[in-house]
Amino acid sequence: MTGIKEWLYRQTFSEKSISPLIVFRILFGIMMFLSTLRFILNGWVYELYIQPSYFFTYLGFDWVKPFDLYGISLLFGLLLLSTIFIALGLFYRISTIVFFICFTYIELIDKTNYLNHYYFISLIGFLLMFLPANKGCSLDAYLGLTSKQQKVQAWTINILKFQMAVVYIFAGISKLNYDWLFEAQPLRNWLKHQTDLPFIGELMQYEFTAYLFSWGGALFDLFIVFILLNNRFRIYGYTLVIIFHGLTAVMFPIGVFPYVMIVSTLIFFSPDFHKNIVVWIQDRFALKSKNTVQTEIKAPTQNKRAISLLLGLYILIQLIVPLRYLAYPGDLFWTEQGYRFSWRVMLIEKAGYAQFFIHHPDNGTKKLIDNKEYLTPQQEKMMSTQPDMILQFAHHLRDEYSDTVIIESNGAEINIKQAKVTAEVYVSLFNKGSRLFIDSDVNLSKIKRGFHHKDWILQNEN
Amino acid sequence: MSDVVRIQSNTRILKVFFFGIVVLLSFSCRKRGCMDENAINYDADAEIADNATCTYEPFEKTQMLTNICDNYIIPAYTNFNEKNIALSNSANGFSSDPTLDAFEALQQNWKDALLSWQQVCFLDFGPAAFVILNNQVNLHPVDTDVINNNISLGVYNLDQASNNDAKGYQALDYLLHQPGMTSEDHVTYFTNNANAMTYLTDVVDNISYWSNYILTEWTSSYKDSFKSNSSSESNAQGSSISNLVNGLCYHYESIIRKGKIGLPLGAFNGFSQQEMPELVECYYHQESLPFAIESVNAMKKYINGESFSSSENRLGLDDYINFVGATQNSSTLSSVINSQIDQIIDKLEQLNDPLSNEIITNKPAVTEAYSALQQLVPYLKVDMTSALGVLITYQDNDGD
Repeated sequence: MTGIKEWLYRQTFSEKSISPLIVFRILFGIMMFLSTLRFILNGWVYELYIQPSYFFTYLGFDWVKPFDLYGISLLFGLLLLSTIFIALGLFYRISTIVFFICFTYIELIDKTNYLNHYYFISLIGFLLMFLPANKGCSLDAYLGLTSKQQKVQAWTINILKFQMAVVYIFAGISKLNYDWLFEAQPLRNWLKHQTDLPFIGELMQYEFTAYLFSWGGALFDLFIVFILLNNRFRIYGYTLVIIFHGLTAVMFPIGVFPYVMIVSTLIFFSPDFHKNIVVWIQDRFALKSKNTVQTEIKAPTQNKRAISLLLGLYILIQLIVPLRYLAYPGDLFWTEQGYRFSWRVMLIEKAGYAQFFIHHPDNGTKKLIDNKEYLTPQQEKMMSTQPDMILQFAHHLRDEYSDTVIIESNGAEINIKQAKVTAEVYVSLFNKGSRLFIDSDVNLSKIKRGFHHKDWILQNEN
Repeated sequence: MSDVVRIQSNTRILKVFFFGIVVLLSFSCRKRGCMDENAINYDADAEIADNATCTYEPFEKTQMLTNICDNYIIPAYTNFNEKNIALSNSANGFSSDPTLDAFEALQQNWKDALLSWQQVCFLDFGPAAFVILNNQVNLHPVDTDVINNNISLGVYNLDQASNNDAKGYQALDYLLHQPGMTSEDHVTYFTNNANAMTYLTDVVDNISYWSNYILTEWTSSYKDSFKSNSSSESNAQGSSISNLVNGLCYHYESIIRKGKIGLPLGAFNGFSQQEMPELVECYYHQESLPFAIESVNAMKKYINGESFSSSENRLGLDDYINFVGATQNSSTLSSVINSQIDQIIDKLEQLNDPLSNEIITNKPAVTEAYSALQQLVPYLKVDMTSALGVLITYQDNDGD
């Protein structure tokens, strides 16, 4: 036991070179700058946050609203500015706080836009607020706004490595399921559309390729961190990282995620590797000399007890959240209960079609809702396969129709107090044919939102 | 550790690795093989399905797009344009010499042209989507007040969107089949009303402007980009296949299913579901079903990769669906879609025109036809789009 304790202590409080942290900060800032800029230039700010009239908020975050065009533009402006400041290491503490808050707030507006890599970025943003990544090769240090430091406590680097490990290993574990391993789904379907890729397109006609990619992907995710941790094999591991993420970037429309991962995994490289980069940057920009504040060689002493406790808590949460799906009955891919925030990337091929009905209070007739009146195509698409969003939309319709008087084209006057809402939803998982997804008779307006099991989801008959 | 030792230990690791692979590969002893009949190397003697070894003909997307473009889309638009030239000629003939024969020829040419529109209406992407061709030539219902107002004023601009429901085939439907008027009455009406005659030829000219526009767009430039733009990642948004499928799904769902049958039936009319017979296509002609049936028939040819003018069947969406191996209730998805379309046609053929009457007098039969139309929506929108990897991707998606 003392061995583990000692190891833990060493991994947390031993003194390490600060350079990996500095390089990480600079690269992360640049990546986020490019990614945010791309988001803005693609017109997504308007498309995702201004155009929709309704937003699928997260449970407990219903107060998060996109404001108006000016509000959301301000948020994105601040975000963009903070990424530059993070890369430059200027007003680092404030910049990271602004970055984390803006980025997370934007992601919380609408779960339609949930992506694992956005969640990853939020977490990194959160961690950066606490890491002394500006204590060298930064404008803060250059201008004397903070002291320079050559050493940091090991946890500041290791927590980032831990975060990367969580992403990869949980992604690997989530691939250890029947569909992925033994049916090579969904890659088998996806690769069939790739036969016209240059060079590797030929391979896609072989079923074997789908299995190779499935198994290869699972093994890669499971073991890449351990390869990267090993001094001798790291360079091979990193080659694999580049090949793997490069391939996914070529084959699937997944934006900047592959590049973020390729850059972030550099954190596993040795302090010497990073030192060379830092020296190179310092030589380029002559950031060395003018600092007025004394360079501190040693890491400052901090409250070790509090740090251990907080780190332990963070690690525990990171380990529990992806496993919470175990608490729910039923097929995870079908019900998606406990699916988000669990590093399940490119695991399922799912499509749906949902029709909602408002019921007449007395005579049993019902009115068909035109989803397009309330939702963008993207929102409608995401909603039709995810039960929590179906429920949210049903509640939105309930609120729209409750306590209203509707005058029909034939003159009939309908007085709705508490609208009954039902939905007929068809979902197809892995191209095995669309099936009825939820109980079409259940009054969704009476069902409470929450983390409890949604027993109104039908069994997957496939 | 010296370099020699390091190299040695590296080769040892490699050896172990290769040994492991050899062991894995030679694991089986019973006859294993590919048991998927669609594969090239289908093994009829195999006992254990080892479908990881299956090899398939690569699906030539470009070939499919070329077939659809050269053998369906271009001929169909050419025919559409020819029918409209004929319509235009016959309108000019009637205008210069308003006889009963000329009028009846005009009616016939109108009908032919509208039928030719049904064969291209679902090509609702690219240039057609860009100008919203459906609204330019066949928006219904028309606003007869606007039409009559335009005629009596004699001043109008048919290019304005506000006149979309006062032009196109449905405006001609009204003008050529005005309620309570015989063919002779119509001839008299147009002979005595110069404004009306001008309006008639203007509306016809406007349609043939658009038919010429769409054909020119396709043959001059869009054709090539359509055929080549197939290798985008996963048929993502913007690829030809995604455009084609999204256009088809949208048009089928909104214009054919909803516009032609659902809306007049009252399926979208609030709680009462009160019928709205005046919303049928060609309300004044009192004949709607041939047009609806033609659109579904043509859609079937298109999905199956048939040539426009013959039943020659080459690579189409059906083959692509088969290639992916999509199923629905353990039948192939392509056969499910085809039999659903057959069922739709069958149900529509059981109805009688005028549809506006049938909706009132024989509502259950129309409802049945509508249900058949409705049932096709998830097959196309859910099953087909996901089988073809067509995502409605408005932004990056990491697949969850």
